[in-house]
Amino acid sequence: MTERGFADAPVQSAHAFRAIMQAMARPGRVQAIDADVKAPAPLLPSAAAVALTLCDFQTPVWLSPRLRDERIVHYLRFHAGAPLVAEPQAAQFVFATAADLPPRLGLLAQGTHEYPDRSATLVIQVAGFVPGSVELSGPGIRGGERFGVVGLDEAFWTAMAENHARFPVGIDAIFAAPGKLAAVPRSTAIRMLESA
Amino acid sequence: MNVPAYNFAYLNEQTKRMIRRAILKAIAVPGYQAPFASREMPMPYGWGTGGVQVTASVLTPEDTLKVIDQGADDTTNAVSIRKFFVRTAGVATTGKTEEASVIQTRHRIPETPLTEDQILVFQVPIPEPLRFLEPRETETRTMHALEEYGVMHVKLYEDIAQYGEIATTYAYPARVAERYVFDPSPIPKFDNPKLDDCPALQLFGAGREKRIYAVPPYTSVRSLDFEDHPFEVQRWDQPCALCGTRESFLDEIVMDDRGTRMFVCSDTDFCARNRGER
Repeated sequence: MTERGFADAPVQSAHAFRAIMQAMARPGRVQAIDADVKAPAPLLPSAAAVALTLCDFQTPVWLSPRLRDERIVHYLRFHAGAPLVAEPQAAQFVFATAADLPPRLGLLAQGTHEYPDRSATLVIQVAGFVPGSVELSGPGIRGGERFGVVGLDEAFWTAMAENHARFPVGIDAIFAAPGKLAAVPRSTAIRMLESA
Repeated sequence: MNVPAYNFAYLNEQTKRMIRRAILKAIAVPGYQAPFASREMPMPYGWGTGGVQVTASVLTPEDTLKVIDQGADDTTNAVSIRKFFVRTAGVATTGKTEEASVIQTRHRIPETPLTEDQILVFQVPIPEPLRFLEPRETETRTMHALEEYGVMHVKLYEDIAQYGEIATTYAYPARVAERYVFDPSPIPKFDNPKLDDCPALQLFGAGREKRIYAVPPYTSVRSLDFEDHPFEVQRWDQPCALCGTRESFLDEIVMDDRGTRMFVCSDTDFCARNRGER
């Protein structure tokens, strides 16, 4: 039995996309997402909504080991028709949990200087957001935005800071928590805060 | 009850996913022209097919849409596009800038300051600012990759050498977030300062040229200039003949065959509000 995707795809995906787009346009600002889908655990409904809104037969998807459950694989194949790839480098969308991120973010598709859009989007399932492990600045942010994600450590933010240093190539990260999401695109500068 | 004849906002879901992916890349790399597989729309190229596809991909049923053409809500292009979305998406429409959540525009930015809750969608004829200087796409792409914009400064310098000032008055090139030089669409250079540090998300769609680009909120947009020839906007000797403001971009209207002219606000909503007509 496959779990339910969008019951009303045109409207639900429009709502989900508005949340994703606002998250990407305002890095570090948490957006509410009404993800009315039934996703097989441990795939969060918010991450499933991102997949159903953005992924299809044109977008190779990689799932981290914890998400590589048979029912999740079937769910994404059935509802999104997305091809699943074995290597994260080959994926346009990389779904992972905070506990099993792909080993090196720099190995994911970065795009080229001629085509920086040919890069991967990293969707990370997280438990929630906490204020203040990093300060974000750059396009979309007025002044600075204090941001933090449950379960992501300094090593991850160091990797994201290196990702920003490669701008305009690099990956964009979406953080999907229950009912909420936020994003940090490659354009965002990251400063570690003392308490982190 | 009529069965709806269109998918919500006209485009099919696969097309919207493709456009939405391009929009996200465009936001992540401000000013970069992300390619997308532009569809044939039920209107000719040059009528805003790029803007329409972007609007269709960002609309939700709860949005209130405003469409302007050269600042006016009641010209053919604006009326047609507004009707298109009323029919295919069932969204509410408005002429009032502050009431709109999505504004599609052809060649103007409203005079009323935009807010964080608004999205501005521009119709773009030629997205590549370097195209008239270098016709080959392979070359302009390399120039953007190498951040090689000297040729644009030479063009502006030649203007100064020939006319004593930078003669570009619309589609004035600017630098987004200190990286990509971009074409802000054929808005008058009067509107360029409004692009800078704007609270609203600004999306640009070029249908024929198949490009989408973006300026995220609160992003620096610096119009190109020289230290001794700083960027300046147009000024008029007279106020708007209808509402009396000196703050807005004025259109010149020929009144008769004896050379009588009148200068009035290009932004019809702004002008009507100043006159207390709404």
